[in-house]
Amino acid sequence: MKLSKESLLGLIAVGTIILMSFIAPGFLSSNNIDNFLFQLPEFGLLALGMMVVIITGGIDLSITYTAALSGVGVALMLTNGQPILLAIVVGISFGLLCGAFNGFIVSKIGVSPILVTLGTMVLFEGIILAITKGQSISGFGETYNLIGNGYYMGLFPLSIIIFVFFIVLTAILLNKTNWGRSVYMLGNNEIATLFSGVKNSRVLMKVYLYAGLLAAISAIIMTSRYNSVKVDLGSSYMLQSVAAAVLGGTNIQGGYGKVMGTVYAVVIFQTISNGLNLLGVHRAIVDVFFGAVLILVLTVNFFSDKWKKNKETKAVA
Amino acid sequence: MKSLIKQKEFSIFAIIVLLCIVLSFVSPVFLTVGNFLDIMEGNVVMAILAIGMTLIIITSDIDVSVAAVTTAVAVTIGSLFGHLPNSWVSVLLIFLIAPLVGLIIGCVNGLLVSRIKIPAIVVTLGTLNIINGLVLYFTNGQYLNSSNLPAAFISFANYELLGIPILIYLLTVVAVLTWYILKHTLIGRSVLAIGGKSQSAVRVGIDEKKIKMFVFAYMGFLAGVAAIAQTAYTKAVDPNGMLGLEMMVIAAVVLGGTNIQGGRGTIQGTLLGVLLLAIIENGMILAHIDTFWQKVVTGAIIVFAISYDRISYKRQQAKLTKIEVEA
Repeated sequence: MKLSKESLLGLIAVGTIILMSFIAPGFLSSNNIDNFLFQLPEFGLLALGMMVVIITGGIDLSITYTAALSGVGVALMLTNGQPILLAIVVGISFGLLCGAFNGFIVSKIGVSPILVTLGTMVLFEGIILAITKGQSISGFGETYNLIGNGYYMGLFPLSIIIFVFFIVLTAILLNKTNWGRSVYMLGNNEIATLFSGVKNSRVLMKVYLYAGLLAAISAIIMTSRYNSVKVDLGSSYMLQSVAAAVLGGTNIQGGYGKVMGTVYAVVIFQTISNGLNLLGVHRAIVDVFFGAVLILVLTVNFFSDKWKKNKETKAVA
Repeated sequence: MKSLIKQKEFSIFAIIVLLCIVLSFVSPVFLTVGNFLDIMEGNVVMAILAIGMTLIIITSDIDVSVAAVTTAVAVTIGSLFGHLPNSWVSVLLIFLIAPLVGLIIGCVNGLLVSRIKIPAIVVTLGTLNIINGLVLYFTNGQYLNSSNLPAAFISFANYELLGIPILIYLLTVVAVLTWYILKHTLIGRSVLAIGGKSQSAVRVGIDEKKIKMFVFAYMGFLAGVAAIAQTAYTKAVDPNGMLGLEMMVIAAVVLGGTNIQGGRGTIQGTLLGVLLLAIIENGMILAHIDTFWQKVVTGAIIVFAISYDRISYKRQQAKLTKIEVEA
């Protein structure tokens, strides 16, 4: 039996969890499992957003600041006594606006995504700093904090349910809709896609809007969990989300990427980071580890591709 | 004269002049020799990094790890100073060691980009994370101030020749050297060729791997030099002092007329780009604009510059196709 790339990754995820429960003290304590489950969704949502962008051959470096800006939007509404629903709507629309801005410059003007999002990353950070003056905004009320800290039927964390909903939604959008097919096509061959009658710029616009949406949802979970928001909200997730998408099998040049692969990669990263934390490893070393994994995975990919190609040419000869 | 105005560098030069005129009304301090020397000395580090980045962007790659590499080298020389005697020899030694350390890190980036063929943005994001993590781990965020640096180094940092700080001379040497490499050597011309059309360049016999390796190694080398400049300018080693500087460096290069798609860029343009950003920053301080708004302005300028660059490139291409059709 031949395993797909994604199932193999799933097995590795299970393996790391088993490994960590043996070597990390208290990994399986209910307290830590709670911690683990509550941290997973915010990172997972960002990674999913990043994955969709990477499938088109782009990258969204501004994703964490998009999230932070949505978080600020939510925080401003809540601290001014507005109802929760309105605050969430404002937060999501902030995320969509950021996404639309990126999408406009990428799809209509045609600047490469790296540069656009590099620029908007500074821009969004500036806007957040100008609004918050570098201070944190906190105190959102008990009810709002339930989103990130509460349980559904006293068992499942609410945020996990939101995460699962978006996993399913992303999978359906990517695999069952015209838009999803176009996203993969666009990542494979932009010109061929255009000539087969797809409006590339519209597809790209929706990709950045979707990334903005997921960033906003992630921001809502984060703000509710921390009960405060600051300019660096979730900023450590930027590289991690690229790394998770790449480890999950998404092709960094675009054209391939599976939702489950990214989800498994997120679980692996979260397990390792959580386990290393319990083992008392310095936080900075965990960052080093993520960077190293990113480069290592791509290096291994390069050599396995080369090996496969060699085998194919030999078979032809 | 007409060809001078048509040059990309001219438009940015015109903007700088215009800005200077406006700012001289806003603040009487602005248009003084002292203020200009301050602006220049304060941006030597950024200018050195931008010069290296120009070569990388010309080959249509990007390096977001420059600030991290510079910090890593600065931290290295900071800890070395603890073991070196207080004499001119150690200052000289630092000038050998710092570029070498930078060069090695640059080679690692170059190897991964050119041999393993990982996209430069991903490689350098990875090394950025690794280096920042290691720096944080080893220094614990500890700050070294001037009392930790040998007196010989401090007197080097304060040295002025003809009333001009030594760091400006250092920048001049780097700029002239890089200009010469880019303009008059085989490897420099190959850099431009690879960026212009890599397939054609490979067909004429240019080794793409070697060139990519060279630009990243050279970037590392310059990051090492920039680390000395940074330590000399601030007379301190701050592990967090340069977070995010890479964005400004890239912005300066793009503003200076280097094409992000590769194939075009000049050292003088990049220096003008750095000067423009520096004047904007200086002007915002002199005009008492809230520091929190400065990032908004910078971000808006970057987004505007890259969009404008792309639009004018598209127009140019459209013009070319028109000529082909007419002929």
